[in-house]
Amino acid sequence: MSTSITSPASSKVSEGTIAPPAPPAPPPAPPPAVGVAGLLGRPYRTIRLEWTSDLRLLRVRMCVRPIQCYSLAAMGELKQMLDDISANPGLVRHFVMTSDVPQVFNFGGDLALFVLLARAGDIESLELYGKRCVDLVWWMENAANLGIHTTVLAQGDTLGGGLESVLPFHKIIFERGAQAGFPEALFNLFPGMGAWDFTIRRAGFAVANEMILSGHLYTAEELHNRRLVDVIAEPGEGEATLERVVREVDPRHRGTVAALRAQRIAAPVRHESLMQIVELWADSAMGLTDRDLRLMERLARAQARKAGGADEGAVEEIKRLELETAWGSDRRSGVERRTVAGGDRRARG
Amino acid sequence: MTMFFADLVGRTDEDRRAFETHPVVLDAVAHGMTLERYRALLLELYHVVWHFNPVCAAAASRMGTPALEPQQAVRHFLYEHMHEETGHETWVLNDLEAIGVPPATARAHGPNVHTLSLNGYNYWAADRRHPCSALGMLYALEVVASVYGGPFAAAIREALLLDGDHGVSFIASHATMDAKHMADLRQVLNQVRDEAAQAAIVESVRVNFHHFTRIVEGV
Repeated sequence: MSTSITSPASSKVSEGTIAPPAPPAPPPAPPPAVGVAGLLGRPYRTIRLEWTSDLRLLRVRMCVRPIQCYSLAAMGELKQMLDDISANPGLVRHFVMTSDVPQVFNFGGDLALFVLLARAGDIESLELYGKRCVDLVWWMENAANLGIHTTVLAQGDTLGGGLESVLPFHKIIFERGAQAGFPEALFNLFPGMGAWDFTIRRAGFAVANEMILSGHLYTAEELHNRRLVDVIAEPGEGEATLERVVREVDPRHRGTVAALRAQRIAAPVRHESLMQIVELWADSAMGLTDRDLRLMERLARAQARKAGGADEGAVEEIKRLELETAWGSDRRSGVERRTVAGGDRRARG
Repeated sequence: MTMFFADLVGRTDEDRRAFETHPVVLDAVAHGMTLERYRALLLELYHVVWHFNPVCAAAASRMGTPALEPQQAVRHFLYEHMHEETGHETWVLNDLEAIGVPPATARAHGPNVHTLSLNGYNYWAADRRHPCSALGMLYALEVVASVYGGPFAAAIREALLLDGDHGVSFIASHATMDAKHMADLRQVLNQVRDEAAQAAIVESVRVNFHHFTRIVEGV
């Protein structure tokens, strides 16, 4: 896109310098940024921002390296950036999200953090994490009310929470070759941050049922056939397709945004529903057995392999898990597994 | 009001992720290690584990007096924890022996500067910063064990073709055992209300993740 301004933020990961102890009380929220300079001026580490002035387009490039997921820091920075947009009504007309990590759009939740919190029996933190995710999808759901049209481009693996974060966008573009799905069912959980509501609205109840309960991964074409993806781009042509889509919308921006506001009224997603599901999700996570958590760790290990440059990653591991399930590698029943593994973490208080 | 455990997880999340995403740690979890590096890691680990209970004891000994003991719950928690961890340094020796390092060699090994820094900080923090800082050491080391221990043990088994828990018993057993420890630790951390104690725990978590990363990097 032309006439772009890039934020000064760097994606470099800090090398673990130890600062003095953090103050006991969280610092007050920084004042909202004013104008484009304010919006781009914050020192983000997990996102990079670009401004295209002729379109009033803000592009967010996610770069949570080396494992692209919704870490607490990434969500904090996204929230700050979205708050800044809200504080500058009329400034942004187009909001675009892409990934700077090759072959990965987003792996979704921070699996190591989930394992930590589930093992600690910390339902409060799991709920808090889920609600922060809902804050982000809820902002996206209401972007048209701010006069903003949203577009997302996925050029690689889009798993779990990564797919949930995509679904509230107005226009979803996938490059052929990208794969997506909700693998949570494979480790006895379900996607809890908008998957049900947004999939049902886009593709209907049957598709939501199929995708969420199976844990299968889908190709871009399969997602397009199910109406979850609006546009398919050929490999390597995602950027050009993104530009074309945005420039097609731009001349009809006001009418399109008004129509999308009406669409949300006609087929609303309720905040209350999203929050209730998060609570149910956190409660379900407390019931994960050691076996379930080990499966989650296998996925985390596969992510680490891919981050280290291996060809195979979480997608291939999910397919292996599906095969193992289909062939009955673990022949013990669910009840047996729970008994052997020591069962429900809710009982631990 | 957020409970302190949740607050601690949030305030130290980037330190945990700095450990998790360090290239050497990432590679170790994904592909395991060579025998030589795994031996070197266990030799350092032996010295970390050996000092674990003495650090807890030092901290417990500084938690008030019979007349005034605001951290009684923490003190009692440390006693129980020390009881459970007693003798675990021997597990590390057994694993070392299984991969060809005699106990005498392991005992005679001089720890590297990163291990000395980790242990030195933990004694100093228990003595001079705040006795509750020992809880920060526990949190960091149990996160390492319960979240990353399982995948790391699996990777080592695959890389070195080890049979069952032979040679990885310390890491593999702590991966599951520390799950219960984490739940217990959460409960005791949620009882820490004192702001100075909380700040010391946060600092201790950050320093322990930092030094532990350097230990893995150093081998």
